[in-house]
Amino acid sequence: MLSTFLNHQWKDFWRSRNKAGSIAANILLGFFMLYFLVVAIGVGFWMAMIIGKAFPGQNVITVFNGFILYYFLFDLAIRTQMQELPTLSIVPYLHLNIPKKTIVNFLNIKSLFSFFNLLPLFIFIPFSVIKIGATYGAITSLMYVLSIISLIVFNNYLVLYLKRKSINNFIYFICIIGFVAVLAGLDYFKIISVRNASNFIFVAIAKYPFLALVFTLAAGLIFVLNSKYLRANLYTEELSTKDDKKVSTDYAFLNRFGRVGELAALELKLILRHKRSRGSILMGFAFLAYGFIFYKDKMIANDDFGKMLFAAVFMTGISIISYGQFMFAWQSTHFDGLLVNKIDFKNFIKAKFLLFTISCTIITVLASFYGFMSYKLLLLHLAAYLYNIGFATVIVLYFATLNYKRLDITKSASFNWQGVGATQWILGLPFILIPILIYVPFGIMNKPYYGLAAIGLFGLITLLMRNFWINLLVKRFEKQRYKIAEGFRE
Amino acid sequence: MLTFKNLKKTYGGRTVVDINNLNIRSGETIGLVGNNGAGKTTLFRMLLDLIRPDSGEVLSKDQNVAQNDHWKDYTASYLDEGFLIDYLTPEEYFTFIGSLHNLSVAHVVDYLRQYEEFFNGEILNRGKYIRDFSKGNQNKVGIAAALMQKPELLVLDEPFANLDPTTQIRLKSLIKSLKQTHRLTTLISSHDLNHVTDVCDRIILLEKGLIIKDFHTDENSLKELEAYFSE
Repeated sequence: MLSTFLNHQWKDFWRSRNKAGSIAANILLGFFMLYFLVVAIGVGFWMAMIIGKAFPGQNVITVFNGFILYYFLFDLAIRTQMQELPTLSIVPYLHLNIPKKTIVNFLNIKSLFSFFNLLPLFIFIPFSVIKIGATYGAITSLMYVLSIISLIVFNNYLVLYLKRKSINNFIYFICIIGFVAVLAGLDYFKIISVRNASNFIFVAIAKYPFLALVFTLAAGLIFVLNSKYLRANLYTEELSTKDDKKVSTDYAFLNRFGRVGELAALELKLILRHKRSRGSILMGFAFLAYGFIFYKDKMIANDDFGKMLFAAVFMTGISIISYGQFMFAWQSTHFDGLLVNKIDFKNFIKAKFLLFTISCTIITVLASFYGFMSYKLLLLHLAAYLYNIGFATVIVLYFATLNYKRLDITKSASFNWQGVGATQWILGLPFILIPILIYVPFGIMNKPYYGLAAIGLFGLITLLMRNFWINLLVKRFEKQRYKIAEGFRE
Repeated sequence: MLTFKNLKKTYGGRTVVDINNLNIRSGETIGLVGNNGAGKTTLFRMLLDLIRPDSGEVLSKDQNVAQNDHWKDYTASYLDEGFLIDYLTPEEYFTFIGSLHNLSVAHVVDYLRQYEEFFNGEILNRGKYIRDFSKGNQNKVGIAAALMQKPELLVLDEPFANLDPTTQIRLKSLIKSLKQTHRLTTLISSHDLNHVTDVCDRIILLEKGLIIKDFHTDENSLKELEAYFSE
């Protein structure tokens, strides 16, 4: 039975509608994972050397011991956010003649196929075998490995259990992060030492190897607890998020824009009421830190704007690119409804421009704290801002008319490749290349400020031409709408 | 009111709609029947300019629906949940649809009052988004929103499916009375022959995109249809 389930999962993946896109995306994701795995293996095998370099003069094994629990604490915090509950896939099986036990087992086994369960194996096991084995002997080495595996299993099922138990996972996510942060803080200020505790435990295991079975016992306990809870609560509505009362809202500040404002308000509600769109907006705020990575004092001093342009355009335009790349597809579930209703397509396009302009302005204002680094950055941001609201919006909306992929916006945004197609990959190129191409000649002539002015001017001119763009886009939309609607219906 | 001329649509070599000439007069209530794949929904989609026909045209008040938007002023429709904006509360959705037809919030509230019976206390002020309602209740929202637009032409795809018996009966009497008072032209597709013969005064039977029968209903219609489908 379990193999049948796994077989169905396999088919589910290969036969999904947006197969080509998800395979390409998965290959890319695969490369990321491979990279992390290679790093993990490297860390694993050269652990002794790395510890020797990073903590000179300390006992290698003591540092290693201290690191283990620390790792699993952070692992727990990250899992609470990233690890998904495997629930929905079981719905078609619940009413069939399949024992609940089998379904629970399937869910339990499926959850083990996670990247988080693979990573620590590569980090900790080589050292446990090579160094610990050489120092304490085979049994201890074996028990170290057993402890690591037990800890992985423990974390895996603990997170699933907590997630299932506390449906509203945002608050408890903060609690766990807070808990880990407090522990790390206490460790840092040497009040309580996680590292000492971890070391103490593993020294004990080295002395009495069979103590490691305590971890195994704990893992077994949480596994049983999780399975029991699942069996008792195998109802889909209890496994998914609970709803609180929804209220109607009205965004008064958008009313002054009339029809366009109404459509913009509609879309604002869409953004705020779906997981995926909320996620990409939050991501936008996270990108505000981009400047700290890319802006270097030396570049600022040399007026080397060319090198900082990418970060500036990306940062101020993040809402345009991250929301705009899936444009129209956000509304794929009710696209037919929008078409048959008395909505002027011109207003429809204008509403998108309005939202982009507002969000881009907010982000740019927030990003002005970089002005404390240098006033020059404000000029850079201003140029990037004008380019973004002037022309980047047009690029994004033009590409939107080529996007026929239905988008499932109820799932979270991180690592979600559903609805990703060719347009999303190509879109970034003109977005980022145009300002750079405008700047380059001035950069070569060593007139950086003229370069910024040129970008700003280009943005301003395209902004003033907005009505022209709107007409162009409406024509394009009129032509493409059948194709878009057909794609979204699938 | 409506003219379908040489309308054709094929998908992958299979003809889904193939209608030479069909006229619908204003004030008629048309029932579209036919098994799955007969082309009812595709026909509706072309009428609402959601699908481009391979050839031919749909004229609404003598104007091609694909070429301008005037038909949207007097046409209201509900085909499926894809017509609902499912992340809004029903109140927000009604307000939005109302605003497209220049109805103020007060107007909308006032209008909805007459549908209290139709909604049976299950739609308004429930603190839920449309996506959280059952399919039957989503249907109710869609149909009420369509009627709210005071249309001259109403297009409903399978309106009786998913509705509870009480609402089915209410919907039927609503359509009948609107026909009397507003000369409403209605196009309904349905698998329920009882309802169709009851509410419609003209029935069009489709099979694989072709019109097989087109007749005005009388007391023998139901038997005739049942005989056809049981063959």
